Amino acid sequence: MKHAFLDRYSDRDSFIHRLDPRTKLISVFLFILAVALTSPDMWPAFAVYFIVIAALVLLSRVPVLYVLKRSLVIIPFVLLIAIFVPFFKEGEVVGSYNIWLWQVSVTHSGLQVLWNILAKAWLSILSLILLTSTTKIADLLRGLEQLHLPRVMVMILSFMYRYIFVLVDEVMRMKQARDSRNFGGRRLWQLRTIGNMTGTLFIRSYERGERVYAAMLARGFDGQSRTLHQLSFGLSDVCFGIGFGVVVIFTCIFNFLY
Amino acid sequence: MHIPDGFLNVATVAATYVVSTGGVSYAVKEANKKLKEKHVPLMGVLAAFIFAAQMLNFPIVGGTSGHLIGAALAAILLGPWAAVLIMSCVLIAQSLIFQDGGLLALGANIFNMGIIASFSAYFIYRLATSVLGDGKRGRLIAGFIGAWGSVVVASVACAIELALSGASPLAVVLPAMIGLHAIIGIGEALITGAALSLVLAARADLWQLQKV
Repeated sequence: MKHAFLDRYSDRDSFIHRLDPRTKLISVFLFILAVALTSPDMWPAFAVYFIVIAALVLLSRVPVLYVLKRSLVIIPFVLLIAIFVPFFKEGEVVGSYNIWLWQVSVTHSGLQVLWNILAKAWLSILSLILLTSTTKIADLLRGLEQLHLPRVMVMILSFMYRYIFVLVDEVMRMKQARDSRNFGGRRLWQLRTIGNMTGTLFIRSYERGERVYAAMLARGFDGQSRTLHQLSFGLSDVCFGIGFGVVVIFTCIFNFLY
Repeated sequence: MHIPDGFLNVATVAATYVVSTGGVSYAVKEANKKLKEKHVPLMGVLAAFIFAAQMLNFPIVGGTSGHLIGAALAAILLGPWAAVLIMSCVLIAQSLIFQDGGLLALGANIFNMGIIASFSAYFIYRLATSVLGDGKRGRLIAGFIGAWGSVVVASVACAIELALSGASPLAVVLPAMIGLHAIIGIGEALITGAALSLVLAARADLWQLQKV
């Protein structure tokens, strides 16, 4: 299996890596919520959020360049949805340009919407990346279970995590086989091929699921999964939780007072 | 269609979280009632399947590419509530592990691509098979329409949420999303149809699975 890309850097060691996954999950949720509640013209609040998240990234010893590169995943959505807003929103006109036949004008409120989305989306994605790259997925799932995600879903998620690698390998093999048979031609034909691959993948996954269940039954599976590793909520979690919570909540409240 | 954080306002986030939590808890209840423990590993593998199938990109116009959502395939083969469960797990994993879709936006994403997409696919499929008949041809055409419809309906929900949040005026975002997804939906429909026909040919017994 060559797909060790899932929770990269989560095996490093730092103060943040050692925190309980529940602390991190709740902190990230709180952070994103606070960011969402902040009004767009409160740039000092955004500066505080940015300093907090930048400090945590540095403390976590996850490569900064990796975090920045990863945060680019929001770009397609920004391009699709937000980039046109400054041109369509009504309001006070900031600038107006003539591009060939069109008169294009940019409005103040439109620019504010764009800035609002960009700043919030970027800060949120940074905190999510920090969560993933400092927490092992198995721990993350245990944390979700402790936070009362239904057990059925935790089980599905943990099976999913185990088989993603196998199935992605399967897809890669099928892709290689397809490409070595001169894949190309008309778009409709390509889609048919992908459809057949999807169908084959479904049947193989289904049969694998049946085999896995039989193998698990043979080893005494009774619907429970047990691990030796226990989560521990310690002093550092309390300190971090309170410190982080106070900074974020006060920044957010400050924004409402002004 | 995975909405990142920052696009939705808090009111929309709260509303979609409430609806999605309700929908998913009902799906869990239904699954616990009708499915045996046998199905849990199966659903896990199928969630991984949807995930892997989303890696098969297909070309759309002008260099962009789209990929399967998979809700229609899951809903037609396993029933809408099982599809809601599987899609929710896929979306949770995508958000927490790949940052594909935000954490606050997770409620909205589960609502659009889990609940709305699964049910619209399922009902369109049922409606179409009742008109076209339950033969091989009828099922495939129904699957095709169901998959296309699920993508378009989900994109409408997504556009409305974005407009309600003030991210973009409805008059701009709605036609843009519908237009784009009417094209992506053709890919989804063709792939779902081809996948269904292969399942029909190779393991027709999988159509008789208990639907949830």
